[in-house]
Amino acid sequence: MKDKRMTLFNFVRGAAAILISLAVGTVFIFLTFALAEKHYTFGECLENTGEALRYMLIGPLFKKTGDFNTMGLFQILAAMIPITFTGLATCVMFSANQFNLAGEGSVMAGGFVAALCGIYLKMNTGLHAVVCIVVAAAVCALIMLIPALLKVKLGASEMVTSLMMNYVIMYVVLHFLNVHFADRSKGSTQTFPFAATSKIGEIIPNGSKLTWGFVIAMVFVVLTALFMYRTRWGYAIRMIGANQSFAKYSGMKVGGTIVLSQVVGGMLAGMGGGIEVMGRFNTFLWKELPGYGWTGVTIAILAKNNPIFVPLAAFFIAYLNKGCSLMSTYCNVPSEMIDIIQAAIFLFFAAEQFLSGYRQKLVVKNTRADLMKTAEGRKA
Amino acid sequence: MEKTNTEYVVQMKGITKVYPNGIAANQSVDFNVREGEIHALMGENGAGKSTLMKMLFGLEQPTEGEIYVRGEKVHLTSPTVAIAHGIGMVHQHFMLVPSLTVAENIVLGIPPRKGIFIDYKKAVEITEEYAKKYNLHVDANAKVMDIPVGMKQKVEILKALVRGAKILILDEPTAVLTTQETAELFKELIHLKNQGYTIIFISHKLKEIKEITDRMTILRGGKSMGVYDTKDTTEQEISRLMVGRDVVLSVEKDQAQPTDVVLRVKDLEYTNEWNRKMLNKVSFAVRKGEILGIAGVEGNGQAELVEMLFNLNQPDGGTAEVNGKNILGVDQDRIRAMGVSLIPEDRMTYGIAGDGTIEENLISDRCDKKKFNIGPLFNMRAIHQESDRLIDEFDVLCKSNQQQVKMLSGGNIQKVVVAREFSSDPILIIADQPTRGIDVGATEFIRKKLVELSRAGAAVLLVSADLNEVIELSDSLMVFYGGQISAYFEDTSSINDEIMGEYMLGLKHQSEEEIRRVCHEG
Repeated sequence: MKDKRMTLFNFVRGAAAILISLAVGTVFIFLTFALAEKHYTFGECLENTGEALRYMLIGPLFKKTGDFNTMGLFQILAAMIPITFTGLATCVMFSANQFNLAGEGSVMAGGFVAALCGIYLKMNTGLHAVVCIVVAAAVCALIMLIPALLKVKLGASEMVTSLMMNYVIMYVVLHFLNVHFADRSKGSTQTFPFAATSKIGEIIPNGSKLTWGFVIAMVFVVLTALFMYRTRWGYAIRMIGANQSFAKYSGMKVGGTIVLSQVVGGMLAGMGGGIEVMGRFNTFLWKELPGYGWTGVTIAILAKNNPIFVPLAAFFIAYLNKGCSLMSTYCNVPSEMIDIIQAAIFLFFAAEQFLSGYRQKLVVKNTRADLMKTAEGRKA
Repeated sequence: MEKTNTEYVVQMKGITKVYPNGIAANQSVDFNVREGEIHALMGENGAGKSTLMKMLFGLEQPTEGEIYVRGEKVHLTSPTVAIAHGIGMVHQHFMLVPSLTVAENIVLGIPPRKGIFIDYKKAVEITEEYAKKYNLHVDANAKVMDIPVGMKQKVEILKALVRGAKILILDEPTAVLTTQETAELFKELIHLKNQGYTIIFISHKLKEIKEITDRMTILRGGKSMGVYDTKDTTEQEISRLMVGRDVVLSVEKDQAQPTDVVLRVKDLEYTNEWNRKMLNKVSFAVRKGEILGIAGVEGNGQAELVEMLFNLNQPDGGTAEVNGKNILGVDQDRIRAMGVSLIPEDRMTYGIAGDGTIEENLISDRCDKKKFNIGPLFNMRAIHQESDRLIDEFDVLCKSNQQQVKMLSGGNIQKVVVAREFSSDPILIIADQPTRGIDVGATEFIRKKLVELSRAGAAVLLVSADLNEVIELSDSLMVFYGGQISAYFEDTSSINDEIMGEYMLGLKHQSEEEIRRVCHEG
């Protein structure tokens, strides 16, 4: 009973954080109209804001006519694929209290490595795609050894090294892309097209880019959850995150487990990058960090590091992204609005003290009830 | 109303405090102190004494209730506000900067200045002036890390006085003092009282309370059991009010039948980061079937010894072997595999992961065992069975094995630690302050278990700052002083506090031959 109420509280708290964030976003949307060069009247501003909100909140799934937008749903699910993987990766690393932010670089490296495998290896359909993804995952797992070993062996902060490493990865990828693998016949810098055998196909071929990668992502949600909550390695990762001294005293291999968490994280992020590139594109054409790694951090925080909640959080973010892009297309609101809203959600979710006064009241109430019960029990 | 307000210098009315973890530490407590008295706040560990005083010092906010100082309603939102109202507190664990001098510590935060520099000379002058005025003799120029515990306490008291405190809260001031130092402290407190200061004295030691206080308020289970004049109350009455029954904390135990040496420590040495020699050629042995106690004022090397034995720190020299196998510098999983268990002194740091569930905390040392794994996956059924069995056997009060450990009371948290450490069939148990800060029931339970295990053949090394506990439980006893063993008693039945005090304070030191008996060689 008591714990149920606390769970409910946590949900209410999350919902409140999201609502407040949306309210903050609304204020900013209103301001873009109020401060626009074309002078709107107050009424017009309100009307435009309403229209923009409609696009952002309802637009992704419902057409203007009110019909359900099946294509829109497919596109949102497709957008969930890479961020589900980076979200899972971040969950695993954050659970061990490792603030490794190299998920971002891993996505790019994974995408690039998968692309190269897709271009230069000759294999059968099906197997080829699997090999591409596996190689991408393996390479990124190895890359993550760098911040992990620096942390364990030399005590270098993984947050700093992993953050810097993102840019190292990006420029290394760009160097190889420009110098060795570029298709000179194309106007922009990109690789040669992937072999058809390596492509990850759409579940329903309708151009939504909702590929089998989505199914793989959901399978990995379950696998990661099992790994974290039903194996001794995941358990060790969580205990180290909860109290490293306790883990050491209990006899766990602290250093090894810290490395493991980051290697698993790199693997997941690399896979996400590989699947995204092999599913959505025909050539490798990223010329900057794709941003999925950062989104993964937001998702891990929304999901409270629990893999099971990652698809929910990923859906939410993908939905908002879609809404914001519709809003910027049709209503002239800058697409950066998504960043403002995300930042606000971030703040309220991460702020431990948000609504803590209300929580305390709940606790007091619960304790009172418990004391009454014991008192009655004693009388009887 | 007005009248009662002026009679008391401090008045706390209907104070209730519920912590964020749901523990109601105080329930409608009234607490009144007269000006110029020494007022005891009594109660067992966990009765809510410290919580009540934290609220008076502004460290915690009451959930309900009002506080009046000199008849004026106050909101003590922080220690700064409390100090402004003339309330000072000396904590059980000293809040001093070890690398600074006594004078620097005393003026910390309120330093006399000369331009932009701190006027150190003035700081020394202030220190000496106050020390003289209040008969609290300290060495103003000594570094805090070099002075004995008794003097540290005086520094803490001076700190409060220099900040203008008229009401002093002393949180278990004698817990870390020897008998002699305690006597000195009492003289100083009476001196302060005679100068018009009000002293609130937190303790659970009956004799001290009888000796020094005028009145007392007794807390039990977070509730006030009333206010009494000390001179009209007997120790038995106080004891009854405190615990609600006449607790017999003496544990029944048979004569020990020690056999082979399990743990042998030889010439263990350790110098800490401030260049203090914490362990100086310590040698001893613990035998199968006996409880070897280590008594001593805290900070004389006991904590360091335990850290070395569980590889939580590296010694500078010496050896330690369990059944002939080295344990120094060996990973904890291998130490545990050899059959060594540790109840750590600081249970919140080492003993548990507070955010984890009870179950997760119970299996932390055995999660790799075959029994709990099926291939790569956990055998959840076996794990649930194990945790339920331990919860049941060790009588952990909880809703289920999935409850967060930090939601439990101190005593139940310690039971979780003990359940894990005692259930791994240990051949050597190192118990460091196993009953510190927990309720009587849990204390009794843990002590009984310790005796049980030793009689069943485990070797037990017991470190405790609680003199009664260490004398009651141990079969034989060492005293630590200044990083050395200063005494060894083969039989604990003849020891009394007085003698112990002299060894603990370093006034007496046994001969090397006498001490060497603890090595049980030949």
